[in-house]
Amino acid sequence: MNPSPASLPDETPGLYLHVPFCHEKCRYCGFYSERLRSHDPSSLVAALLAELDRYRDVRSVRTVYIGGGSPTSLPPELLAEIITAIKARWPAPEEFTVECNPGQTDERVVSMLRHHGVDRLSLGVQSFHAKELAFLGRRHSVERAIESVRVAQRLGFDHVSIDLVFAIPGSTLVSWRRCLQSAAALGVQHISAYSLSYEPGTPLEVARRAGQFRTIDEETDRAMYEMAIDFLGSAGFAQYEISNFAQSGYACLHNQGYWQNRPYIGIGPAAGSYWQGRRTVNFADIRQYIQRIEAGSDAYELSAHPDRNERLCETAVLNLRTREGVDLAAFERCTGVDFRRAFEVPLRRHNRGGLIEISDDRVRLTRNALAVADSVLCDFSCL
Amino acid sequence: MDTRHIRNFSIVAHIDHGKSTLADRMLELTGTITQRQAQEQLLDDMDIERERGITIKASAVTMEYQYEGHTYMLNLIDTPGHVDFHYEVSRALAACEGALLIVDASQGVEAQTVANAYLAVETGVEIMGIINKIDLPAAQPEVVAEEMEHVLGIRRNECFLISAKTGQGIGELLDAVCELLPAPEDRSDEPTRALVFDSHCDPYRGVICYVRVFSGSLKVRQKIRLMHKGRSYLVTELGKFRPTMTPVEELGVGEVGYIVANIRNLADVNVGETITEDANPAPDPLKSYQPPMQMVFSDFYPGDNTEYSKLRAAFEKLALNDASFSFTPQNSPALGFGFRCGFLGLLHMEIIQERLERENDVDIVQTAPTVSYEVVTNDDEVRRIESPSELPDRSHIKELREPFVRLEIITSTESIGGIMKLAEGRRCKLIKTDYLNPTRVMMEYKAPLAEIVYDFYDQIKGISRGYATMDYEFTAFEATNLVKIDILVNGQPVDALSLIVHRDHAEQRGRKLIIKLRRAIPRHQFEIPLQVAIGGKIIARETIKAFRKDVTAKLYGGDVTRKMKVLKRQKEGKRRMKSVGSVQVPQKAFMSVLDTSD
Repeated sequence: MNPSPASLPDETPGLYLHVPFCHEKCRYCGFYSERLRSHDPSSLVAALLAELDRYRDVRSVRTVYIGGGSPTSLPPELLAEIITAIKARWPAPEEFTVECNPGQTDERVVSMLRHHGVDRLSLGVQSFHAKELAFLGRRHSVERAIESVRVAQRLGFDHVSIDLVFAIPGSTLVSWRRCLQSAAALGVQHISAYSLSYEPGTPLEVARRAGQFRTIDEETDRAMYEMAIDFLGSAGFAQYEISNFAQSGYACLHNQGYWQNRPYIGIGPAAGSYWQGRRTVNFADIRQYIQRIEAGSDAYELSAHPDRNERLCETAVLNLRTREGVDLAAFERCTGVDFRRAFEVPLRRHNRGGLIEISDDRVRLTRNALAVADSVLCDFSCL
Repeated sequence: MDTRHIRNFSIVAHIDHGKSTLADRMLELTGTITQRQAQEQLLDDMDIERERGITIKASAVTMEYQYEGHTYMLNLIDTPGHVDFHYEVSRALAACEGALLIVDASQGVEAQTVANAYLAVETGVEIMGIINKIDLPAAQPEVVAEEMEHVLGIRRNECFLISAKTGQGIGELLDAVCELLPAPEDRSDEPTRALVFDSHCDPYRGVICYVRVFSGSLKVRQKIRLMHKGRSYLVTELGKFRPTMTPVEELGVGEVGYIVANIRNLADVNVGETITEDANPAPDPLKSYQPPMQMVFSDFYPGDNTEYSKLRAAFEKLALNDASFSFTPQNSPALGFGFRCGFLGLLHMEIIQERLERENDVDIVQTAPTVSYEVVTNDDEVRRIESPSELPDRSHIKELREPFVRLEIITSTESIGGIMKLAEGRRCKLIKTDYLNPTRVMMEYKAPLAEIVYDFYDQIKGISRGYATMDYEFTAFEATNLVKIDILVNGQPVDALSLIVHRDHAEQRGRKLIIKLRRAIPRHQFEIPLQVAIGGKIIARETIKAFRKDVTAKLYGGDVTRKMKVLKRQKEGKRRMKSVGSVQVPQKAFMSVLDTSD
């Protein structure tokens, strides 16, 4: 196999490590995780480190992101062991994020993270209304969530991100506005705001289908989204991706790597990689994952080698999620293809429909298109 | 060959009564093909035909059979078995002296049996009644024989009992063909006259005509003349289907075979054409039968992802081998450039549509089929229109006429009530009922074609639990009280959604139609009003609400492949869409014009 240059960008990868444990699963969460108490976390950590070791030839990683599940559900010494191993191999990533569950984020954990060189925390605050947290199945209180942010700030983290969820049944435009106000008042640098989605197989989705509650109607969901963009924008958080907002200079480098379609290495159960032109996803099953790693084989549940056209389309779809959109020169440099020519038909249609804006050097979704981005992006999903 | 030892015949039957199986058995028994060669239903050589179990194009095969010490030449001319292809049956019969009319021993006489019998009688060929599938446990040959006598006038004691599947009775049947069917007249000393009863286009040899020689003979290197077109050609090849094409030097009087003569396009030689010798032409052509009449029209537009020129190329390819299909460029104010296509009937249309998509990678959007109408203008000019959009302004119309058919339905007595109720709602007028036996009845209606062309057959099948069969034949255009319904999508009239209906049903049809459209057209980023106008007046409105949210909130590293798949599926859902202004209208919306259900 002799891949064309575009498939092997000589770029430094990002590193993602998935900790598939939680104390309790939240009702809405579609990510892979299991309850910690039914597992021995040390054997998993051993497997994570073994998988990590397979990339010893990689000279450097650009960013590190430890996510989950909740990484903070691990005993702090195990989490420290993982971080230490990463830092030992790649001492100077440009950004090192750990996701934290506010219920598990106390001074001890935060100072450990700080001590090991983590420089960005992402806190799963989700809401500032107790009822909404209860609806989502979150165990922590509003006060605890606020306190976790304070702890991080007190202990010197100058890059803190929080997650918010809107369109939670029972919420209103008024309650969402209060939520946004509370978030902005916290003094964090980064906010991710997600419309509540009903992921297949989650208890929340089952309950919805059973008619146990009324979902927020589309019109209100849309208005909440628009409100987030406007409110956060005026509070100094510029939108840089569909669901992400940051103070100037605080966009998440790691996640930007995904949307720029740069390579990344994923470690752990259910983690995805885009490495050496290949997209793989590990088994979303702790036992199977450990077994495979211990046996010395790979742990891929899925493996695909996108061809040239698929790479073009992936790049287009991912780039277009960002407010910067497609950098035409960079696109051509990476793929060898003129973006405007390759996607002439959908560009023309959506430009006419007011959903895509085209300038000399960039193509991006218009503000109006953001809330309906999938209906536009699908036209870039294949040639 | 001595004409006394030639027999030319067709097999005609209702669909699934065993026509092709009988043909296969005859080919085997005469040694024309071996059993091993006997590919299932050899005579149907198109995939779609085989899949649908029907024969679309007639074809001919020559067999040899020993009877009473003589070698007989048996020419079997195959016919299609669907109502849309009546004219193919009649053109096959025009080349024959006899017809074998098959009836399934477990099903009895069906609507198409009757229609085929009428055709045979009109053509003047000798009819042999055959009762097939006598091996079936449900076979009731005596009852069926009685029906045949009662309805078709074929004497019950003269019916042949066979099983094409097991081969029972086939030898006797072949003997009877030699014994009972008339031989062609010996007109070998008259000037040459040969009937072209079918043709197809071969990529290498050009047009291959299927011919029956009625007088004189055809020879290789002979100069021939097409009597209707008046053009002359040199015969380069003559032959017979045995069943593969086998060249011969001469086709004598009474014989059936093919002719190749450097004719390039199918349009250069009409089926029904008479071929004569250029140097010694016959004074008159053979009596030609009626050319097929296209009764159903539909517009085809390239979908948003296909180019017009590609669609044109695809149609050209299809038209090469189907002279009864036509297409003309069409420019719709709402849908842009496309083609108006004419078909013999709805099945014919479906077959063309399927071939179009299967054999060409084109994304098409098709409008609801419509029948043709006759408009009498104020200055007494009579015009044929093939689409509601061609209808002139009301003030110029003196009279609007629609096509009527003679409709025959055969069904069980317990479903009579339901069928009569349906027919009444469709403006059909009962002409007569005739009991075939105490449990089966044949009903004859005068029916507007527009009311029965689409789902009527499915409906009577449903009412009769699959029992009823129907057949129809065009009779005449007649004036009725028709109006045009216009549909506005997002304020823009969409000609492809217009329809012509009887005034009494117009308002209700219009209201139903926009409700169906509301369900069929996907939501857009803006609200879409749908309106019904009759005679320029808006009588009803529906609204398609805008969709406000369609976005994946989270997309990070683990989900890229999965998400791309989801997006691709979403894009796939946009296939067969046509932009009407800024509204994308899917194929099924155009078809909802036809749906009269609630």
